[in-house]
Amino acid sequence: MTLDQLIARERRAQRRRLRQAALFAALVAAASVLLLGLSGWFITAAALAGASGIAAAQAFNYMLPSAGIRLLAIVRTGARYGERLASHAAAFGALAHIRPALFAAIAAAPADRALALGTGEATARLIGDVDAIETRFVRLSGPWGVAAALASGAVLTLLGGIGPALVTMACAAAVLILCYGLARRMEAAGAAVQRSEGALREQFSMLVDAAPELRCFGLEPWAAERIDAHSRTFAAARLRHAKAASGVEWVHATGIGVAASGALALALPAGAAIAALAALAAAMTIDALGPMVRAMTERGRTAEAQARLDALLTLAQPVADPPSGVNAGASIDFSHPWGARLDAGDRAALVGPSGAGKTTLVERLIGLRPCLPGVIAIGGTDVARLSPDALRGHFAWAPQDALLIAGSVRDNLLLARADASEADLWAALTDAALTDRIHALGGLDIWIGENGARLSGGERRRLSLARAYVADAPWLLLDEPTEGLDAATEAQVVSRLGARLDRTGQGLLLVSHRPGALALCDKRLDIAAGSAGAALAA
Amino acid sequence: MAMAIQDKMAARARARWLAAKAGSDARETSALLLFDTIAAVGFAAGIAGAIAAGSMQAWPYMVLAAGSGAARGLFARAAARKGAADAARAKIRLRCDVVAAALRRPAAATLTTGALMSAAIDEVEALDGFVARFAPARKAAAIAPVLVLVAIAFASPLSAAILIATLVPFILAMALAGGAAADQSRRQFTALARLTGHFADRVRALPVVLAFRAEARETVVLAAAANELAERTMRVLRVAFLSSGALEFFAALSVALVAVYCGFNLLGLLPFPVPEQLTLWQAFFVLALAPEFYGPLRRLAAAYHDKQAAETAADRLAALPAPAAAPAMAPRTAPPRLRFADVAIRYAGEDADVITGFSLDIAPGATVALLGPSGSGKTSLLHMLLGLAPLTGGQVLIDDDPLGAEGSVAPLAAWAGQHPLIIAGTIRDNLRLARANANAQDLAQVIQSTGLGPMLAHRPQGLDTQVDSRGGRLSGGERRRIALARALLTSAPLLLLDEPTAHLDSAAEAALIATIHTARRGRTTLIATHSERLAAIADHVVRLGGCA
Repeated sequence: MTLDQLIARERRAQRRRLRQAALFAALVAAASVLLLGLSGWFITAAALAGASGIAAAQAFNYMLPSAGIRLLAIVRTGARYGERLASHAAAFGALAHIRPALFAAIAAAPADRALALGTGEATARLIGDVDAIETRFVRLSGPWGVAAALASGAVLTLLGGIGPALVTMACAAAVLILCYGLARRMEAAGAAVQRSEGALREQFSMLVDAAPELRCFGLEPWAAERIDAHSRTFAAARLRHAKAASGVEWVHATGIGVAASGALALALPAGAAIAALAALAAAMTIDALGPMVRAMTERGRTAEAQARLDALLTLAQPVADPPSGVNAGASIDFSHPWGARLDAGDRAALVGPSGAGKTTLVERLIGLRPCLPGVIAIGGTDVARLSPDALRGHFAWAPQDALLIAGSVRDNLLLARADASEADLWAALTDAALTDRIHALGGLDIWIGENGARLSGGERRRLSLARAYVADAPWLLLDEPTEGLDAATEAQVVSRLGARLDRTGQGLLLVSHRPGALALCDKRLDIAAGSAGAALAA
Repeated sequence: MAMAIQDKMAARARARWLAAKAGSDARETSALLLFDTIAAVGFAAGIAGAIAAGSMQAWPYMVLAAGSGAARGLFARAAARKGAADAARAKIRLRCDVVAAALRRPAAATLTTGALMSAAIDEVEALDGFVARFAPARKAAAIAPVLVLVAIAFASPLSAAILIATLVPFILAMALAGGAAADQSRRQFTALARLTGHFADRVRALPVVLAFRAEARETVVLAAAANELAERTMRVLRVAFLSSGALEFFAALSVALVAVYCGFNLLGLLPFPVPEQLTLWQAFFVLALAPEFYGPLRRLAAAYHDKQAAETAADRLAALPAPAAAPAMAPRTAPPRLRFADVAIRYAGEDADVITGFSLDIAPGATVALLGPSGSGKTSLLHMLLGLAPLTGGQVLIDDDPLGAEGSVAPLAAWAGQHPLIIAGTIRDNLRLARANANAQDLAQVIQSTGLGPMLAHRPQGLDTQVDSRGGRLSGGERRRIALARALLTSAPLLLLDEPTAHLDSAAEAALIATIHTARRGRTTLIATHSERLAAIADHVVRLGGCA
């Protein structure tokens, strides 16, 4: 789905509010033109009547025009409130749907592409770029307001003859064309704003994430300078954009002055009262173009934001096959480089020198990296032909870097299986030798910080292991689960893992260098450096 | 009562903070806005003069009207440009402070990267409107109405008096509307920060979200956060639109009052005697100018949400922890003596010390291995030396200099940690982080001694191989070696290594132990490890936890 399709869907969903906004916008514009025109006529006509003597003054009907002025003032105020509320409600309602859709698109993208997106870059898109397309909804009512203003302006200025009407329309056309030209010229500046904001977010998140190490290397000033350089680029882009946008204000204000004096000059033959009416109606007609010409200045930013969001949305690949269920008895066949087969319930160690591609192979198995056809098959089906979802259902993974989500211990465990019971969670923690520590921390609902910042390295690893235990998958895929554990804890974790495997009948694929953990395994798959790594690489 | 005083003090502190940080010296911009008001007087005079003059004599007035209109545009343009330039400067300055606070945030601070990013970008950007629009509008709003009033008083003193009388309820309405919106605005920022933080975290943790097939569930959670943001934003806007609607209505009523007076005065139908008889020129001038009397105030009201956004952001930004003091340790080349006396480490919000009563004397140039169960505080000790964990008891002496509570040995130390920083760039860029001017020979030497050679040989581009910031295409062991290579590139006299041989098979471990054995010469070395083989090269082995 492209962004345009997504926006079209949201426009349909929000069409009631958008129609309201358009209606109110037209009311505001028409009321403004009529209000000022009528006021000008009223004052002038009253002066003329007053000057013609007491009889004329007595005969002057002031009730109807003054009632009209009051009514128009109220309509304008109320309609403006209604328009703002309806258009913003539509915009924010739509954005609240677009954001999750984008996250879903990132998650559905081929894993290697999705994972290459930096956190800052992805956040910039989800927050900054989505905000930028807000204007696409808020400004939808703009043309309706302009049309209403032009229509009512034409009617009123025609009272002064064809000349004032032509001048007003010509001024409106000139303002629109000039502002469009200016907006076209500032598109590059607008796009630069979005791009530089994304770059700043990316740089910030990359370097701030590494704050501890930067301090150790004395690199904090270097990092601050790098972020500052991006901050300056971003500020300069915004400034260039703001300066260009101020040109539109100038064209608009000049247009109002020229239209008012031009309409006045040409309407004078029709009398002072009508001239006043035409002048003020002309001024307000041009004034009503404001929202639309200001929206034009956002074109560049919106277009760039849309292009970036589209790039994200089109990453998502349609699921080729309907998700096939998880086959609990699935075997794993490796055709490359060994021609080995693991049957359900087998316990195998994946060994080899560091850098030989053990973790890479693991990531291929769970569909975080693409796999060439004819390399690995699960349950007889080639991994390359399995959907990532079906593939992942076979494995409960404890990654090498023990990645945790920001949240509580419970949040992290439930990520593996949302309907796991309290007892399941504690059983998993026990098997990971973590119960005491979690009790000491204060239980399952304790906030453990970003990536488990409040836990030690070994505790993070065991929590990640417990999470894998919670998942209900036929294979446990453990990447260095006991690295960084002391000998006593490691022995405990290994023996409980053995007991757990006996109990659940799950298979085990273990990456480790540690003899204690390797003792659990009865099969060994050795990735010899070089050839095997090369054969497995796509 | 006490609450009100507290609120007032908080508001004053916030205003001071904003004035200091946003540098809201808006004199030039507000002067441009005043010129805009003067041009508005010219426009009103031109239109009124043209209508009163009739056909032939009208053209100078029309030129005045058109010229004034163009001048207004020019002044508005100049004010927008100047305001934007001031805002850009203020934002760059403020973002520098936020970045410093983020990079030097105290150990175990509860702030996530997402929350910090929200502070550095969204909250700093929230000051844009304050500097560019609100501050100049506030200055101009104090003077511009007086200018308009003087011009109107020349034409009709009574009209001027009517406008003054209507000013009181107008300002009251403005104050009421402003207060109501502030609270909503704060909540909206909280919702935005939560959404940003949540999203940044789930993207970071995407591999596990995908592996456990939790993407649909996480999307639902994200949708709830996005909905909350939409609702809060609408609540803020409803108040903001209602208050600006009220102001607009008030202004319209006041202008109508002046119009009625002018109309009846012109008709001579006023039910009470007045000391002035208006001409058409005077009446039209007054009427055309009357909306401008409220114009500056309405501009101020329109920028009011800029002020609220800035105040909310100010509260959140001022609450950021102050950057930890820059390490004051004088750099030295000789290996230092390191003494720990009864050292305790406890993280904020924890009930128990991680390390307590730890004492150790390390002679200059000696190597000490820290062994102990995970969670026994090995890493915390190293982090404490670097100012990343708080020293909550006892003393640490480097030679004879005490390490302060916020101190750090970073200027003397080379470090290889558990989660090496990998920046997007080439492997060479990543190595050079430790020493920007390292030449090819230096690099070749550390590559050789850390065993990075074979892995570079496998990659066609060698040192120029691109890596992304997740460290993709690097194995855990390779990252450790890069970290060690960086530590060796520096000539720092203190070497701190946190589990340098984790993730390595035994052959690679042996090779790396030999490297460390050479590298530690001439340096005081502290190694946290689980490996007995690595510990064997140390002069002393300290066992933490159970045995300590």
